[in-house]
Amino acid sequence: MADDNVDLELLYEKRKERYRVLVCIDGSEESYRGLSYAAEIANNANSDIILLYVRPIDQGLRSGGLQVRVARENMLSWGLELPGIKYLKKGLDQLMSRDDMASEWDEKITHTDIAGDPLGDNKIEYINEDGRSIVLKLKTATTIAAGILDQYELGPYDLIILGESGSWGGWAKSLWDPAVAEKVVMHSPCSVLVARGLERGHGHLLCTDGSESALHMVKRAGAISKRINSKLSVMAVAEDVESEDDAQKNVDAAVAELKMLGVEPVKAFTRVGNPFEEIISAGDDYSFIVVGSTGKTGLKRFFMGSVSFKVMEHAKHSVIIVR
Amino acid sequence: MNLTVPDRRSRQDRDGFGAKLKKLISDFSIHYMWEKKWFFIAMIVGAIMLNLPNPEGLSREGMIVLTMSLVATILFVTEPIPLPAVALLIILGQVFLLGSSSSDVAKTLWNDSVLFILGSLMLAVAVVKQKLDKRIAWIIVRITGTKTSNICFGISVVSGLLASFIGEHTVAAMMLPVGITLVTLTSDDPKKVRNLAAVLLFSIAYGCSVAGIGTPSGGARNAIMIGYWREFFYDPTNPETQRFIIDYVRWMMFAYPMFLIQLPFVTLILFFTFKPEYRDLSRAVVKLRAQVENEGPMKATDWVSIILFLLVLIGWIFVSDTVGMGTIAILGATAFLVAGLVRWEDINSGVNWGVVLLYGAAISLGIEMKDTGGARWVAENFLAMLAPIGADEGFGLWAAVSVLTTAVTNMMSNGAAVAVLGPVVLKMAVVAQESPIIIGFITAISSAFAYLTVVGTPACTIVYASGYLKTTDFLAVGWKMAVVSTIIMLVAAFIYWPFLGV
Repeated sequence: MADDNVDLELLYEKRKERYRVLVCIDGSEESYRGLSYAAEIANNANSDIILLYVRPIDQGLRSGGLQVRVARENMLSWGLELPGIKYLKKGLDQLMSRDDMASEWDEKITHTDIAGDPLGDNKIEYINEDGRSIVLKLKTATTIAAGILDQYELGPYDLIILGESGSWGGWAKSLWDPAVAEKVVMHSPCSVLVARGLERGHGHLLCTDGSESALHMVKRAGAISKRINSKLSVMAVAEDVESEDDAQKNVDAAVAELKMLGVEPVKAFTRVGNPFEEIISAGDDYSFIVVGSTGKTGLKRFFMGSVSFKVMEHAKHSVIIVR
Repeated sequence: MNLTVPDRRSRQDRDGFGAKLKKLISDFSIHYMWEKKWFFIAMIVGAIMLNLPNPEGLSREGMIVLTMSLVATILFVTEPIPLPAVALLIILGQVFLLGSSSSDVAKTLWNDSVLFILGSLMLAVAVVKQKLDKRIAWIIVRITGTKTSNICFGISVVSGLLASFIGEHTVAAMMLPVGITLVTLTSDDPKKVRNLAAVLLFSIAYGCSVAGIGTPSGGARNAIMIGYWREFFYDPTNPETQRFIIDYVRWMMFAYPMFLIQLPFVTLILFFTFKPEYRDLSRAVVKLRAQVENEGPMKATDWVSIILFLLVLIGWIFVSDTVGMGTIAILGATAFLVAGLVRWEDINSGVNWGVVLLYGAAISLGIEMKDTGGARWVAENFLAMLAPIGADEGFGLWAAVSVLTTAVTNMMSNGAAVAVLGPVVLKMAVVAQESPIIIGFITAISSAFAYLTVVGTPACTIVYASGYLKTTDFLAVGWKMAVVSTIIMLVAAFIYWPFLGV
């Protein structure tokens, strides 16, 4: 076991140096659009793409005491595939059909039992000669969000991409059953892209509040848009007219930071009003709204919510929460 | 092998241990409280009720059992903790709150109904493992031809006939690959066969669900209701009460015709709701024939398993009222094991033993409800509530009981629904001077009407696991099924059952 740990630690260190993107596939069009975005970001030898499909763990209590695995094993013996494999393969085909993803990749298949479920986790890894890899992963977990977050624990990622599930459903609904995206964003340690009506080519809108974490966000977002060669704009919101100067300063700081990275923002502006309303209305013209994750955790977030969170919930287009 | 160890260590190095720990605790506590909120709500409700003064006409013990039932129902529906843990809480509550002795509680956990649940689950795994599904599928399409509507009706009929004897989960698990194979052989693109998949898979699920009412062995809920009748009304010293012993054949006389009437409606409603893309499945049927031919002729073991299966059916029909349904089910499972047709390992991993515990505890609580007078008190008050709308007697009461059961069963497993509701509705029948048999049948049968949700019936859960259906599909077609089934049942209760002398 000790050896195992050392190896894993090594692997973990190695993975930290790579740019790893986790794409959550649920078979929807949105998730495949997210995948093509991932393919663009992770387009050099130093990056990996992991496609993940999570299916809820089978619950024998619900099926009257007969474990669902009995039915599943029966299906497998008929030569039928598990749900999700089709979706993952479609994603793989989409990646393979791109020119840069040459077809001669090594294939490695691994399989793990989860909670004694023989159909637990399945993983197919494709590695090309310069060490780049695409991983297809079929995972079982108690809930979909838990599955996605568990996956992070297995190896750090730089970005998680998920399609919007369409069930935000307002405050009361989310109290009862928080949507997958909401849960993932709340708990994920890395940046998350929630793809929603993802339409490319309108550039990124960076929202800064001048805080340290926001500047950090600007750096990371600058690096991303440099990677994919996308247009970038910066905005800040002042809550009233008096503090507009402060907002302007924040924007200037962000622009300076971007210029140091070698990125020239297309537009830099300030607005006055309620931060989250202003961000959403300004965001209509862009493909992505990029916001930093605020430092609030636990109770504070629970009671006050955060601007980033509200933006993600109500924006019309895709939102990236940078951590 | 703990994969998370290196990850945690390196993150702690980065942020400093203290800060990390603080965040971990705050995140954990809020996360834990949030995930388990219904557990705490249920416990608070329980604590408040236990500290209220006793309502008039209810003993202290009755109040405690009533509180336990309500808390257990909240936990059954919201599932903040694993369901078998609710069963364990019920056992603990009986010892600590009611002050029953541990051995007395243990005795109430087992009876013939629970033995039946245990045996029939083992039998279910044994039957599925016999791999007779391809042959059954082939027999169906040989009779029905290749028209989609005929195949769907055939699947419903055969699934139903089998499920009425060996339980819906068994048949759903067996027939699911048949449905999916027909779909995938028709087209590889799931989008092109969405409606076809829905029609075929729902034919299996609903065919099984409507059949579960047909015989006592069709589902755990039937066995539970039979157990309650015996427990509540049968008095060995009084020959008058002999009529409350409902044997296998008598149950079938009540319920089997209803199942047969429902069958054509299943296909009609499905075709009305989902219009399948393909009206003819000849391509798939040809390929299916090739697959079946690969199996070769029937082997000796196949015949042995069919004979064992038939013997179990005969045992249930003819001798179950003397030796008990549970005994026959156990006997059947044992026979399959002795004959070497199924491995214990398969049974062990295919049965969720928690269900046995769950039903045992729920029935035990139900019997406590009766013994402490809690059930009677709830029944009287519920009837008083129903009186203003004229639903406290006769047809109105029947409909009210049916609607109540349908509502509860859509939220939790139907066996648990009958176990929890049974004592109350039977006492309502007594108070309202209605026939407990009719009310009992209405409850047991309505509990099969959980067509609306994925978790409602075992067959629905199993079919949903295929990944071809959406939860909204269940809503779209389920309410029509529920309405038609309820009407058929009330008509049967009104016109047909009186002929059987209740």
